[in-house]
Amino acid sequence: MASNKPVIVRFYRFQNRLKEKTVGLAPGNAAISPEALEKAEQALSKMSEDYPDWVSSIVVKLQEQHGRCVDSPEMRRECFEEINHMAHDMKGQGGTFGYPLITNFADSLYGFTIQRPGEITDNQIELVKGHLDAMRAVIRGRVSGSGGEIGQSLTDGLAQAIEKYETED
Amino acid sequence: MSNYDFDRVNILLVEDSQFMRSLLANSLKVLGVGNVFPVEHGGDAIHFLNRVKNEPMKVGVQQIDIVISNWDMHPIDGLMLLRWIRRHKDSPDRFVPFVMITSYTEPERIVQAREMGVTDILAKPFTINNIGEKLISIIERPRQFVHTKEFFGPDRRRQKFPPQVERRILTDKSEGVEVIRG
Repeated sequence: MASNKPVIVRFYRFQNRLKEKTVGLAPGNAAISPEALEKAEQALSKMSEDYPDWVSSIVVKLQEQHGRCVDSPEMRRECFEEINHMAHDMKGQGGTFGYPLITNFADSLYGFTIQRPGEITDNQIELVKGHLDAMRAVIRGRVSGSGGEIGQSLTDGLAQAIEKYETED
Repeated sequence: MSNYDFDRVNILLVEDSQFMRSLLANSLKVLGVGNVFPVEHGGDAIHFLNRVKNEPMKVGVQQIDIVISNWDMHPIDGLMLLRWIRRHKDSPDRFVPFVMITSYTEPERIVQAREMGVTDILAKPFTINNIGEKLISIIERPRQFVHTKEFFGPDRRRQKFPPQVERRILTDKSEGVEVIRG
């Protein structure tokens, strides 16, 4: 007979449909075939090789937006939105492909191009360029990992530029 | 030992970065996943899931088996998508395994996703092995779903404790506990 007491917790337990789908009902352990893993690893590293080219192509697009900011100040807000979107796209994956510096620089670019009230100044436009230069240097020099001394000097250079321009505004 | 055959598995992949999207879709396909449906953000995913529910023949899939989604997306992020899937009345499957991809690995973030009912987290940067491990864990170690006043999602306790260590007060036989099997 059903109880009138209120239910405090419900536990839902289902048949393992996914297991039936992938290994059938046969008992015993299953594994992902080593050949499939190997093939997938290779596909991933093949795509990773394309990563610097992909970054370069985005940097070219960012460069075009930067150019528009310089030439047409009335377009700045629109351009910043584009730049912000592209920076977001870049920032998530540098680490996956061994370029954490790209992630750092893209993250910084993303952070300071988020729309805020007020005019977009020449100094801010100059800072966009600073970020692009740093990214280009990373890709040109294939500076992977934290990049040792070169990485540190790029990071410091960008940090100084940010400090300089932000205090001037 | 037999090999998993992912040929009949349908995965909805939600990732806003075009580069990552094609990379993940490609990796899953090479691992043998039969159907990967890539979409650009949470809003697209909700739209897609609605279509699966309302016109499965047209979409060409009856049911999504696993959702793999990035967290940080605009305008609808992974957490909002997870919330919709777990709680919205239009959700076609509130129990679907949900893997969140994220570079946010701060404990409070992980807790936030867990409280919203995430099945597993795939931290960036990841390897193919990491993806494989998540798939195996979903297939081999599914957890019961727990529904209380405050929570709906896969059981947040993964470990089985011996009776003297178990702190869970309610058992299947307790008053106020309902077990639903399917």
